[in-house]
Amino acid sequence: MGDKFNRFQPWLTLLARVVLGGTLLAAGALKVGNLQKSAMAVRAYELLPVSLANFIGYTLPWIEIGVGLLLILGVATKTVAVIGAINMLVFIIAIAQAWARGLSIDCGCFGGGGSVDPEDTKYLSEIIRDLGLFALGIYLYLYPKGRFALDK
Amino acid sequence: MATNSGSDKGTRNLVIIMVSFIVAIGVIFSIVSNRSNSTAQVPAAVSESEGYGIVLNASATPKVDIYVDYQCPICRSFEIINGGYINEIIAQNKAKVVFHPMTFIGPESILAANAAACAADENKFLDMNLALFQDQSATENSGKWQGDALLKLGKAVGLDSGKFEKCVKDGTYVKWTGNVAAASAAANVNGTPTVFVNGKELDRKTEYGDPAKFKAALAAGGVK
Repeated sequence: MGDKFNRFQPWLTLLARVVLGGTLLAAGALKVGNLQKSAMAVRAYELLPVSLANFIGYTLPWIEIGVGLLLILGVATKTVAVIGAINMLVFIIAIAQAWARGLSIDCGCFGGGGSVDPEDTKYLSEIIRDLGLFALGIYLYLYPKGRFALDK
Repeated sequence: MATNSGSDKGTRNLVIIMVSFIVAIGVIFSIVSNRSNSTAQVPAAVSESEGYGIVLNASATPKVDIYVDYQCPICRSFEIINGGYINEIIAQNKAKVVFHPMTFIGPESILAANAAACAADENKFLDMNLALFQDQSATENSGKWQGDALLKLGKAVGLDSGKFEKCVKDGTYVKWTGNVAAASAAANVNGTPTVFVNGKELDRKTEYGDPAKFKAALAAGGVK
């Protein structure tokens, strides 16, 4: 069992890097084209002071692009995996509190965001998706070495 | 063997530097470009202290702030339901009404907001405001307002001067729309339409779609 895992682990790591990195890259790329909307999405969580929320709205997409690229290329995998995992954890907490407080928002994870009709909220699926991605981040922290990485 | 791992480390460090550089440039560019531009040309009716909004009845009270995006379908419904009443209280000087055309849905929102600002310079803002919503495309970012569409729309409400055409074609007030956006961000406006009466936000769930409730909300704020 351990032997089989050792054989597949480098490929699992590659897969995890591509999935988590690709998702972060896509999330960032979809947001950089409309930073007004990105900032609106962060403000809609009603968690942060407005100026801080706006700052994060304008800058988070770039960080997601950077982390996504580094993950896909396999550079500094342990470090960027932690950043990616923290990113996901923050989103999970933010979405969960929005749900608990009865806010009607779109998570804004891939562009979009802000207020939506109450029947259009997708909190559970968003949390489950982000839990999966969080798990990938943890896995990559534990097993950072994999196939086709720039790091050796 | 030693040189091999040396150049690998070099490549890896180069990648880290390049990606960090891209991220840093992106962050700086984004923060700077989303600030208000104090050199932006603004329409005559605009007040910087009112979030760069277009002000009608500057000396009246109370104050009603209206945030819309011309591509927003719910804003179109809002205009159809409540536009008549809003125009009425403006005409009767019962309130100071400040319009904040937001532009987050897409580039055509910017074109539309610019055209509305050009119309404001010729005292036809309300006509153009209504015309834009009536001409709203069924889908967002459809391309309907590219080209001459906004000039034709202006003509239909009586704006056929060379001044209006130049204003629309040159995008004279495009930078101003950025200022409105920055002010809206600072004012924590996260959806459209959003209406404030004397700084108090109306209830999104009930007070925009029901004309009686909308009137009551305005009355509660002091609009007689």
